[in-house]
Amino acid sequence: MKPPVETLDTDVLVIGSGAGGAVTASTLARAGRHVTILEEGPWVDPDALEPFSLQEMVAKYRHGGSCAALGRPAIAYAEGRCVGGSTEINSGLYHRLPPELAVEWQRDYEIEEFGTDALDHYAERIERKLGVSRLPGAPPASSAVLERGATKLGWRSVEFSRVFRYEPNGRAVKQTMARTLLPDAIESGARIIADCRVGRLVRHGRRIVGVRAERTRPDGSSQPILVRADHVFVCAGATQTPALLQRSGIRANIGRGLKMHPTVKVAARFDSLIDHGDVPMHRVTEFAPGLTIGGSASRRGHVALALADSDADYADALAHWEHVAVYYAAIRSEGSGQVIALPGFRSPVVTYQLTEGDMSRLARALVHLGEVLLAAGATELYPSVTGGVIARGPDDLVQWWDALTRNSANLMTVHLTSSVRIGEKRSRTGADSFGRVWGFDNLRVNDASLLPEAPGVNPQGPIMAVVARNTDQFLADA
Amino acid sequence: MLWFERQVVGALMSPNLDGPSRTAVESYVSTTLHSMPEHLRAGVAVESLALGCRSWIEHRTGRLDEQRLRTRIAGWKTSKLDPVRQYVRLLQSLVLFAENELVAEPA
Repeated sequence: MKPPVETLDTDVLVIGSGAGGAVTASTLARAGRHVTILEEGPWVDPDALEPFSLQEMVAKYRHGGSCAALGRPAIAYAEGRCVGGSTEINSGLYHRLPPELAVEWQRDYEIEEFGTDALDHYAERIERKLGVSRLPGAPPASSAVLERGATKLGWRSVEFSRVFRYEPNGRAVKQTMARTLLPDAIESGARIIADCRVGRLVRHGRRIVGVRAERTRPDGSSQPILVRADHVFVCAGATQTPALLQRSGIRANIGRGLKMHPTVKVAARFDSLIDHGDVPMHRVTEFAPGLTIGGSASRRGHVALALADSDADYADALAHWEHVAVYYAAIRSEGSGQVIALPGFRSPVVTYQLTEGDMSRLARALVHLGEVLLAAGATELYPSVTGGVIARGPDDLVQWWDALTRNSANLMTVHLTSSVRIGEKRSRTGADSFGRVWGFDNLRVNDASLLPEAPGVNPQGPIMAVVARNTDQFLADA
Repeated sequence: MLWFERQVVGALMSPNLDGPSRTAVESYVSTTLHSMPEHLRAGVAVESLALGCRSWIEHRTGRLDEQRLRTRIAGWKTSKLDPVRQYVRLLQSLVLFAENELVAEPA
């Protein structure tokens, strides 16, 4: 027998608790609104699991980390599914939106009040609230590698700030949403319901009057819930937000235009030991924002995966994995993808088509990544290209140009954006300049889906600034 | 996890892993495959059935040889057909990650 439907009432309903949902909820709760947050994933103590470990993947990643965008080639991607969303699992690197992109997006999508000054105002507010800072002291060896290589080549590199605070004993604590804005929202009266998946929005004309959801109890049984709300913010991320809208019959420009930063990797072996506890904070920005070079998580498991991607004999390198670290090159892609909710399926189909220009940029990115690592003193480089040769010198890198093809590239990404898009250009956008979904009075999107294009940098900072701006506009309009 | 997927996972594991470690790795792969998006899991299952036909017949006739299966998998790894290549890459990634993260000191 089905349990009876539990009914809840709220002023503002926020669906999702990541960078978008947490900023929205905390801003509105502090302004005195009655806020309820529904999060599909579980609450996991931020200190309970080792960052980037297998246990963390199982507990906090959507599908245990096994997602892929279909295309040629398929592109593996990862996103968070827990209270705090992807802020719980990312590297915590913080960037503002590059000013030239703000100008470009404002022009191309006719976004109102989207100037750099306005966005910087919100970025400053977020930075003060979370505590954005540089690493105190010298960078770890894995990060210094990038700076050293770039300097030798005469390229620009930057140590980026991170959303971290440092305790008196030196312990670095990532300022995830579960540690910061969500407790802040709760303190201001918001409530969070975890393990609660929204099936669909309930429509009445131009209004959303509530949502039908299902909460999973600790014993595994489920409880149907109807949440009635005056205002709904969908903040479930670039794949789940359009999927929910589509399941609810809202389809105009929803799920199209998906963007990402396709990424190639290299496992680099050095003579000296490399640290593996942190993600490098340096980035080579010589070719930014079109192409960025940086470092990845390099636990033993990650090193093994990166080594195996080349299909070369990696046994000796894996036996000396303490000398190996993983680096990446990510591009801003010309291609785009779609998110498609299929009837009867819980997960949307995600597709992504790389252009020939993208493939060429990825090959160039791979070679530049190799150049900087060799300049930094790496002795062996294993590319994430099936059949790609191990590079031991610049001459070997020449072969990488032709090695990277649609049939050999092993690509991944952690940055997905742009599946709804804001702006007044209705032919290209799913929501207006402040995230209100076209055709609805009280339905807003407020997350990575809104960015019109991929920002070429870690998108958490740009997402939070845009979301804070939209939330202030909502309060001003109310 | 389907029969052929179990065979592939077994063939991809380091031969020096002990019994409990093999069980832990297999369990992790099985859980992760189960939690994949439905359409991706269905695609992997279809590939398992298609690629596993020959091995299943060999198994039924008592001629399944792990070394031959390893050679076959090595060929699929560099296949020009992207789905076939990605099939092996997926299972190898899961096995490798589990071997190196779950098992303290794999041989």
